[in-house]
Amino acid sequence: MVKISDIEGGQVIKNEFNGITRDLLKQYAKSSGDTNPIHTNDAIAERAGLKGVIAHGLFSFGFISKLFEDFLEQGKYGKIIEIGVEMRGMVRCGDLLITEASIEKIEGNRVYFNVKQTTFTNIEIKDKDGNIVKKFEAGERGYISDKDREQGLVKTKEISEGVLSYRERVATPGSAIIELYE
Amino acid sequence: MDQEQIKKNAEFLVNNLSGKEIPGSARFKVRYKKMVDFAGIYGITDPKYVGPEEKGVIACHAFANSFAVNAFYILVPGLKVKQNGEERPLVLNPNKLLHAGNKYNWEDCVDIKNGDVLIATGKISKIWVVEKNLILFAELLLTVKNQNDELVCKVTSTAAIRPGGY
Repeated sequence: MVKISDIEGGQVIKNEFNGITRDLLKQYAKSSGDTNPIHTNDAIAERAGLKGVIAHGLFSFGFISKLFEDFLEQGKYGKIIEIGVEMRGMVRCGDLLITEASIEKIEGNRVYFNVKQTTFTNIEIKDKDGNIVKKFEAGERGYISDKDREQGLVKTKEISEGVLSYRERVATPGSAIIELYE
Repeated sequence: MDQEQIKKNAEFLVNNLSGKEIPGSARFKVRYKKMVDFAGIYGITDPKYVGPEEKGVIACHAFANSFAVNAFYILVPGLKVKQNGEERPLVLNPNKLLHAGNKYNWEDCVDIKNGDVLIATGKISKIWVVEKNLILFAELLLTVKNQNDELVCKVTSTAAIRPGGY
């Protein structure tokens, strides 16, 4: 049960999605009616200078609304009043998408959230001698820009196969307001 | 288009479009399959949004994407203004148009149900230019009602138009 008395500023709710595929983008294109081929056809996306398909700008919005629907147990404990998003960074197939909402303030029964969607894009794995043992789509297609590197968005971490390099960036900042029933 | 003309166009649009109603409307028929397909994309399985039966099912919040973006592309080209005696659209080159953000508001709104007909109307609520890069931003306020004239969603879409596109 979610009640105003049980929550406090700074509290964070989150979900993760690791299943962005070309098939899912095709499904979204069909359902949303946004059939711009840069989202479904790599050759056309390449001709548009995108190096490969990109997710629709509002595709990831659904994971924010789902986060709040789940938090409110599908309307049992309150309702969603507003969700706003800015489209800042492109979301690609293979990205891990993490959606987080932190409570900014509480006024009466209304709860105001800062929302952030972060993409984690795997680039490549190198062994201990520096040899590339695996390249991911972002590495193959060159999704990572010099600007990403200059801004320190490209990071590394040790995993069982070697050292994984990946990009971490905020794709969608936003805000949300919900209203709890009690 | 030279820099001088871009600046003139920006000034004209900022002075003439703010608060302007967009003529016409965009209509969408809500179908059960589409509602369920949309929920499926996000792994939403709650019976409230997907059934198993059509009766009583309502659209998940993400479904707003299905009409917001389409309404944007249907309504915006219909917006025309006279500049120096000649009629012109807001966007001169759609390749320079970027969808920068969306805000959905469901305050005092009713649920969207199978069979509803949604009618979206719009106006330019705000328009401004960023001096340093001459990117023109336009905020489009969409009001979406159902066939009973009940509000189902208010959408604020922000479009960014790069120099040469307006």
